[in-house]
Amino acid sequence: MFGYAGKMLEVDLSTQNIKMRKLEPDFAKDYIGGIGFNARILYDEIPAGADPLGPENILVFSVGCLVGTPFPTASRMEVSAKSPLSNGFGSSNSGAFLGLRLKGAGYDGLIIKGQAQKPVYLLIEEDKVQIKEASFVWGRDAWESIDLLKARHYGAEVLLIGQAGENQVRFASIENGYYDGFGRTGMGAVMGSKKLKAVVIRGSKPIVPADPKGVLELSAKGQNLIKSASSYQAFCSYGTMNATIPYGGFNALSVHNYSRGTLPDWKQRAGRQIVDIYGSRHIACQSCIIACGHLAEITEGKYAGTLVKDMEITPTVSYSSNVGLSTEASIKSSELCQRYGIDMSSSGSVIAFAMELYQKGIINKDDVGYELAFGDDDAAFALLKDISLRQGIGDILAEGVKRAAEHWPGADDYAMHVKGVEIPMIDPRGRWSTWTLGILTNIRGGDHLRCRNPVEILRYNENLYYYQKERFGFKKPMYDRLDMPDDLKSAAIDLENDTVDIAVMSKWAEDLINLYNSVGICIRPPVMETIGPTILAELYTCMTGIPMNPDELMAGSERTWNLMKLFNLRHGEVADDSKFPRRFYRELQSGNIVDEDKVQAVLEQYWQVRGWNPGTGHPLPETEKRLGI
Amino acid sequence: MTQKRLYHNASLCNGCGICQLVCTLEHCRQWNHYQSRIKIVNDTERNAFYSVCCSHCEEAPCIMACLMNTIYKEPGSDITVRDLYHCIGCRACELACPFDAAVFDVIQEKVVNCDLCGGRPLCVEYCPNHALTYDYPEDQADKNRNQAASQKFGASLLEVFKFSGKEV
Repeated sequence: MFGYAGKMLEVDLSTQNIKMRKLEPDFAKDYIGGIGFNARILYDEIPAGADPLGPENILVFSVGCLVGTPFPTASRMEVSAKSPLSNGFGSSNSGAFLGLRLKGAGYDGLIIKGQAQKPVYLLIEEDKVQIKEASFVWGRDAWESIDLLKARHYGAEVLLIGQAGENQVRFASIENGYYDGFGRTGMGAVMGSKKLKAVVIRGSKPIVPADPKGVLELSAKGQNLIKSASSYQAFCSYGTMNATIPYGGFNALSVHNYSRGTLPDWKQRAGRQIVDIYGSRHIACQSCIIACGHLAEITEGKYAGTLVKDMEITPTVSYSSNVGLSTEASIKSSELCQRYGIDMSSSGSVIAFAMELYQKGIINKDDVGYELAFGDDDAAFALLKDISLRQGIGDILAEGVKRAAEHWPGADDYAMHVKGVEIPMIDPRGRWSTWTLGILTNIRGGDHLRCRNPVEILRYNENLYYYQKERFGFKKPMYDRLDMPDDLKSAAIDLENDTVDIAVMSKWAEDLINLYNSVGICIRPPVMETIGPTILAELYTCMTGIPMNPDELMAGSERTWNLMKLFNLRHGEVADDSKFPRRFYRELQSGNIVDEDKVQAVLEQYWQVRGWNPGTGHPLPETEKRLGI
Repeated sequence: MTQKRLYHNASLCNGCGICQLVCTLEHCRQWNHYQSRIKIVNDTERNAFYSVCCSHCEEAPCIMACLMNTIYKEPGSDITVRDLYHCIGCRACELACPFDAAVFDVIQEKVVNCDLCGGRPLCVEYCPNHALTYDYPEDQADKNRNQAASQKFGASLLEVFKFSGKEV
């Protein structure tokens, strides 16, 4: 089979049984790769009501089908399992060099079932797969473990969990090498519950495209498209740091557990100059022409010697604004999170939650053991350690804000989550947009990465359109070059009134991002602005030899999205779960609240656009039939 | 006659590895990690990416080491080329190369080196940051590098040359 490696590896840790699962061409065409494969496998094989941290849960890693081409940003890989945070579909995406290496070892995916008796790690050397004993790394942090494993297996790529995953902290992450990771929805806890410390991958089997010349030509075309994006240069130089200042200006940051919208000294804490001060060189993922990651190094002061690849908006907003730490401490927090193997967004939210409870007097010094205050880095790091190791109050907080709030009466009002997953970045009271509706409609819970308007404008922040619309803000050339079917484009974007219909655009944006996660490319704005299903379908055909057109590709992505929704419904999601925390509806922030009824109206409209029952959010039978689920 | 060469500017390189992918796609019509004629190495100690690629040495150790005399300078230029038909795949040139730039092609079972894509290197075309350039050697860098290499590896090269039966 061209383009794909052609098989998936299935490992049952309970029985130590290792099997190969052949990839069928029909399955490959319908579900494309990456998150598509994951969704189908999880939907078919996890029984309803399975314990996310039990042996019935399945952890699936799948590589995007375009990984192995020089197409810009084709490096991504998706991991999914039933999430211990949301009890629904948990999924997380990561880049770097791991995907290509797994594909190079001869596998499109890795399916891990069952539960080992004692700590093990999986060694994949092409066709030779071994389950090995891991007591020498169990209990160590991720960076130490990588050093030890790389010393044993020269030239290997490693994905592993830190102490947080071992202790089944519900928002633990899976680390991908030193600096990257599968952060959200607690995939590390699932891996920890299986007692699987690491997966070590070596190998260099060829990946054979059907039409190598075509792949090369389309990759060059993709490079030119992305380089022509308006945000390309800014992203090359400063990465996601670009967005910090506009969101601070909109009062749309998560500051001190969403009690405020911005910080007075935010411009000194974040923004481009931070990259200039601390950043040294750019680091790219496989095939990436943007290279938004920077190495950040602190050379003097309390945290001298810290070196991380994280000058990104997520750790900055989580720790610098949500917990209120200084910039240097927030860089340090990246290192600690990566060592413990814990999700930066969720851990920041949990620490901010605990600090607010302390401030309000719901918990006190006897509960915690030390004083908590926003901006106190020593306390924050001590709490992070307690959570990761499940010591003292950390044992309760390690369950995530939703479950922790049940311990203390009145704490519920401060638990900022949707479907159990902590909301990381953006406050809908400050800015209502496709992105904020995306937090509500996201399959994996309160998360910002699965729904973004491909051409979001950060120059304006106008909330004049009664939640139904946002401002488009671009001229006709941008409208023309946007790769969308014409009828959908005219329904989503109204050029005359300069507005975007949020419900219609949300569906398109989610399907587009889902498509990116299936083929394995990145969702950075320069890519979203320029790369659409047309070029991806051509590239898919060149890579795999399977004829594909843009409509089929988008239908594949929509099929996956519906399948994930059906997974969630089967595992107990109800329509009421798609609600913001009460704070957004009741508590004023810079003069705004979110209007519950109007949000509900947009949500129902979105369900209708998706072909779901507008009252309950269930996919309608005709939608299922259309997509062939 | 001096020909253009590949040059790699480590300060511009992000380590994306596109050059490796296009190299194997062009030469082998597939991706294979070990078959790229150019390799990008992440040096964490010196905090830089550097490239390993045939630099077409003036006095090339691989030419001296070859048992079958299949490696030679292209007539009229100073590019090192190979006669793969007569190559027996003994890998002596791979050992001799002081830069580790000779690549063992697992499909043909012969050792290959960068052929500059016949004068239009794809890796240079695809490099997003222009870290790779295709240019004439302007300074003495090549010469210095050659001298340093033969000083450092001279002893081990002699061992190889014994088998090739050549005068050194």
